Amino acid sequence: MDPERFGVLYDRFVERVYHKCVSMAGDKEIAKDLVHDIFLKTFANLSKFDHRSKFGTWLYRITYNYCLDHLRTSQRKLAVDVDDDRLESMEDDTDRYEAELLSLRADKLSEVLAALDPADRGVLLMRYQDDLSVKEMMEVLGLGESAVKMRVMRARERALRIYEELIPEGS
Amino acid sequence: MSQGPFKIIRPSDEPPAELRKEVMGSVKLMMLMMRFMQLFMADYAGTIFENFRIVGRRNERDGMKGQSSPEPPKT
Repeated sequence: MDPERFGVLYDRFVERVYHKCVSMAGDKEIAKDLVHDIFLKTFANLSKFDHRSKFGTWLYRITYNYCLDHLRTSQRKLAVDVDDDRLESMEDDTDRYEAELLSLRADKLSEVLAALDPADRGVLLMRYQDDLSVKEMMEVLGLGESAVKMRVMRARERALRIYEELIPEGS
Repeated sequence: MSQGPFKIIRPSDEPPAELRKEVMGSVKLMMLMMRFMQLFMADYAGTIFENFRIVGRRNERDGMKGQSSPEPPKT
């Protein structure tokens, strides 16, 4: 593909990629660098796009994975241990946790997301900000349906734990 | 289902205008490098092939010289 034609793809998808990078990195300068690298990576790997998914989904997957790799190596993580045994009994609590998460104030949610592990942050943004369906998340993450649901559920649980740590009750 | 807070914190600003120039510049550079690599690899393979032929010809020539060329008469 010649650079001019690639420019058309850039114009069409740059806003989506940029917003995703800003959401994931929480910093516009870092996001700018990420967008640059993501489009170069996309150009270098265009021949590997096999048309099994939409181009937008394929690019979204590259964006998500690249942001995650970058953040994993550069960002200090806030360690939050979650007892895996408890997760098995969480199915019934899904609605409650979701409602609780979605009732957070926006500024508090930003703090929680900034402190959250990049993978969890990415999953929550995918689900609640980008409105990806479970099927689309399966394509992006390369996981099965139950694994995707479990990831979302764990991310929600961790986010609420962090919220409780950051903002103690009554404050 | 309300997804209020996630929508509120969604970034809405435009990507920086200079970013396009930077990306397209890098894409063009990468394309040049890829083409250069292709050319180099093609030429490199050709060079090896040529060298094998030259070595083979030289050996043949040397062999023939050893077997059939008479020594010049001593005067």
